[in-house]
Amino acid sequence: MESQLYAYGLLAIPLLSATAIAFFFRRSGALASGISVGAAASILATAGHIIFRVENFEYNVEWIEIGSLKVSFGFLINDLAKLMLFVVAFVGFLVHLFSLGYMKDDPNKARFFGGLSIFMFSMLGLVMASGLITLFIFWELVGFSSYMLIGFYLEKPSAAAASKKAFIVNRVGDFGFLIGIIMLFSMFGTLNLTSLSEIFSTDGTLLDQAAVTTIGLLLFCGTVGKSGQLPLHVWLPDAMEGPTPVSALIHAATMVAAGVFLLCRTGFLMTVDALTVITWVGVATALFAGFTAVAQRDIKKILAYSTVSQLGYMVAAFGLGSLAAFGGNGHAHGHMGDAVVTGGVAAAMFHLTTHAFFKALLFLGSGSIIHACHHEQDIFKMGGLKSKMPITFITFSIGVLALTGFPLLAGFFSKDAILAVALESNSAAFYLLVFGAFLTALYMTRLWLITFLGAPKSDNANHARENGLTMTIPLILLAALSVVGGYASLYPEVVSGVISGIPHPDSAGQTTILIASLVAVFAGYIISYFFYGAGAKEDRLEQTVEPLHIVLAGKFYFDHAYDWYVAKVQQRVATTLHFTEQIALSGLIIRGAAGFAGLIGIGLKTLHVGSIHAYVYWFIGGLALFWVLAVGIF
Amino acid sequence: MNDFASLVQLSIAVPIIAAFLTLYVGKWGRPAVQIVSVTGFALPAIFALFLWGFYDPAIAGDYAFVSKMDTGLSIIGVSLHLGLNGVGLPLFVMASVVGLAAGLFAAQSKAENLPRYLFCLLIMQGGLMGVFASIDIFFFYFFHELALIPTFIMVGIWGGRDRNYAAMKMTIYLTLGAMLSLVGLIAIYVKSGAESFDLITLKAHLAEAPLAEAVQHYAFGLLLFGFGILVSLWPMHTWAPLGYGAAPSSAAMLHAGVLKKFGLYGLIQIAVPLLPDGIKQWENWIVWLALGNILVVGLITMAQRDLKQMIGYSSVMHMGYAFLGIAAMSVLGVGGVVFMMIAHGLTVALLFMLSTMIHHRTQTFEMDEMGGLSKKAPVLSAFFVCSMMASIALPGPGLANFWAELSIFIAIYQFKSWLIYAAVAGIVISAIYGLRAIARIFFGEESKDFVESQKEFAVSDMTWAERVPALILIVVMFFIGFFPKTVTESLNESLQKEAVYSQSE
Repeated sequence: MESQLYAYGLLAIPLLSATAIAFFFRRSGALASGISVGAAASILATAGHIIFRVENFEYNVEWIEIGSLKVSFGFLINDLAKLMLFVVAFVGFLVHLFSLGYMKDDPNKARFFGGLSIFMFSMLGLVMASGLITLFIFWELVGFSSYMLIGFYLEKPSAAAASKKAFIVNRVGDFGFLIGIIMLFSMFGTLNLTSLSEIFSTDGTLLDQAAVTTIGLLLFCGTVGKSGQLPLHVWLPDAMEGPTPVSALIHAATMVAAGVFLLCRTGFLMTVDALTVITWVGVATALFAGFTAVAQRDIKKILAYSTVSQLGYMVAAFGLGSLAAFGGNGHAHGHMGDAVVTGGVAAAMFHLTTHAFFKALLFLGSGSIIHACHHEQDIFKMGGLKSKMPITFITFSIGVLALTGFPLLAGFFSKDAILAVALESNSAAFYLLVFGAFLTALYMTRLWLITFLGAPKSDNANHARENGLTMTIPLILLAALSVVGGYASLYPEVVSGVISGIPHPDSAGQTTILIASLVAVFAGYIISYFFYGAGAKEDRLEQTVEPLHIVLAGKFYFDHAYDWYVAKVQQRVATTLHFTEQIALSGLIIRGAAGFAGLIGIGLKTLHVGSIHAYVYWFIGGLALFWVLAVGIF
Repeated sequence: MNDFASLVQLSIAVPIIAAFLTLYVGKWGRPAVQIVSVTGFALPAIFALFLWGFYDPAIAGDYAFVSKMDTGLSIIGVSLHLGLNGVGLPLFVMASVVGLAAGLFAAQSKAENLPRYLFCLLIMQGGLMGVFASIDIFFFYFFHELALIPTFIMVGIWGGRDRNYAAMKMTIYLTLGAMLSLVGLIAIYVKSGAESFDLITLKAHLAEAPLAEAVQHYAFGLLLFGFGILVSLWPMHTWAPLGYGAAPSSAAMLHAGVLKKFGLYGLIQIAVPLLPDGIKQWENWIVWLALGNILVVGLITMAQRDLKQMIGYSSVMHMGYAFLGIAAMSVLGVGGVVFMMIAHGLTVALLFMLSTMIHHRTQTFEMDEMGGLSKKAPVLSAFFVCSMMASIALPGPGLANFWAELSIFIAIYQFKSWLIYAAVAGIVISAIYGLRAIARIFFGEESKDFVESQKEFAVSDMTWAERVPALILIVVMFFIGFFPKTVTESLNESLQKEAVYSQSE
């Protein structure tokens, strides 16, 4: 069988599932969930086949041609795509499985599972896309499915607002992304990734560097929107209004990482200037979100800011690693097609993969907690869950350790890879990222201490008990991957194109990284433990350093600033324009003209003689006048 | 190639015959009226789809299914010359499909004096089919008037709030627009000396002996502002939201979806090819006014509270892209505009239809008085979300709209690169008003007014009679989006033939 048929199949499965649910099983939640989970399992199997049994390939078929614009629909399956396919299919399947338990009693289950299927369709299409237009189309579609699922509890005004915000903020990012695509097309006449990378690898230095930098940064705008980088991160924490499995799959493991994936796919066209900007946006995001996470009370919000922070790490890793690959001599472009990958792509993708495991684990774990605590999300109303939910506790703890970079767990290796590229290209970024690791350990330990230890602080927490197998099995599997996911040698040969690029610093560098990161992480654990204490009832930071807490809990006032802009600037401009139009155009000019016409009408009334013949003569006379006028003007 | 010419003629004649039959069978009761009128809408759609299937792009963009009838006006160079090329055909198909949906929706509506309502609508449909099939400029214009007059009557009689004011305003504006363009067309006729209104003859004649620059300047100006008023070019657009807000939904569907495209079609097929120097002189005017459409009207759309007016404004906003695409004067830009005319026609018709369905359930068009409708009407909510997403060019439901905008954007960038920032800002603006509307109508809690109105009017989900016309539009929308080559292949051929567009490639 030809390779592309498997790729088509991979798209057809979730699409058929979504269509079937929408048209036939809207009212039967049980069947709908069965179909959707079945589809996820088939996706996993098909993706497995593509990853292990199908050689890397590219396939294109012409889709549309207008004038000079030719767009192909196609697939580009290489090591990078295969690694991402694995993450999407695997985490996707586990989240589907988990949702069976989590959404069991929801009356709108069918809509939920239909939405998940649409998401899988869009995300798989995005991963396999061979050209930027196809990628952009699926990019918009994942945004749409995210919109639908964030607003799943649509009778809740906050959910409706959050879904709207997510979509619009993403569109702001896409504004740049789309312009970047258009410029790229106008410059090179193609948007196929392979053709573009060939152009860049043959005469990359001959191109107008300023223009290429602009294009790179415009494409990066898409990443800023989708991957929640500063200053467009504001939608991601709000997106937690969606059901928790959605947060795990879309807003932690896969879709938000699509921005990083996009960077890796288009890495060949980044210039030094563009990479510098990308790096610092990533570093700033990593630190900003780390700080903000320290002062949140909602368990999902903490995890959401943690996700923003980790995405910042990935973006910074891409920037730093690619800068290191330039190595000062200007233009050493990595060729994705030949699977020669810069350390940046490898480090970013490595962290993306491990992060998908442990962040999905943490979100599903928080889902398990929320489900058991009757939808309580405030960590200061939990406590004492250690003994009530042992499986969740153990797996969640593994997730916390993996995320914070505890030695020999997944996050430890992927974070070290990032620190390694940072050390190589920019020591300021290196120390800032080490500090970020400290923050990560601090807020995650705080979350862990307050949620699981001490005594239950509410009735809901008191009545919590462990969930069923469909919910705990995914936790266990993800926990296992969070332990072993960091060992590069365990990754199969087929993705070696990416994995082998993971940087290995020399022994002096290795020692620096090891010491710095261990000090940071353990400092985080210890300070957090002594500062917050097990099962604290109140936020100690709020009691001790209140001004700092206000700023952090206020998320540095980004949301306030945007709300102010929307309400006070944008809406006022719109209303004023509307008002002006009503007055100026409709009111004065048109009514004036109508009044003038009315006056003429009064004069012409004398012509109303009531005979049909007279009207016919007038009509012909008017026509003749009109003709003369038309001819006479010129 | 002219084997099926009679089908083109029939597509125009059948609705008009059905219109009179509808009046006649009125005495036999509602079902008879419905059967006759729906037949009058369905046959042209079937013919048009059939012709679409038989159009051969290999004839390199020439007119197919050509017929020529003498109407006794040959003395001034007028004959009923019908035919379809790659530009006219897809619009002809779109007109027939939107007409069918509007007709089905009208036939099951509770409009007072249904036979007369359908009479007007069928006459309108006949005119619309004629517009895109006319090679003769005189008949092109005649069919437009034939479709326009019933619009005024329908707004005035079956309209909603402010219908008298809206009908008057629409009449003044559109008549003015039509007259300006008529003067322009007559000027071309007279000054060219070709003594023919036949587009093919005129083109051939003017290719040999182009008009003087000064003449082109004035003639194009007249056509630009004449057609511009008809297409709601800023700031001559205020009739549109008001008129559509008041118009009964089927009339709004046909006017906003199809008839409004007359002006763009006239610019693309007549004004620009015949007056290539004229457009260059007016280029800056077009650009700045079109930016008014996108940015000023876009922001005004955000301030709307009335659903139908909002859709009306959003449709005005989209016309800005069309003007920019035309100003780019490339096959890509103009092709994008034609594609947008089709996609936009289907989408806006769908939105007007759904907004009336929403009105039936909430008894209001004020979005603040709705809220939470998705709980009671999930299918309607899915349809509306789908069409709003199409309208804001989200690939998927709006894949066709996306292709159109993408081509126009690229053409704009190659035309004047700075324009791209202003144009693409439109995608953010449209997302804001589109999603706000969805949230205000369907999500959140039910508003007080809505709770009150439900005590008198029980709310149910979409009926099948409502679903069928909506589905027809959605299916065609998806089809064109996923198989765009079915439109673009012949479109390319026809546009390549126009020297004025292909030169800049």
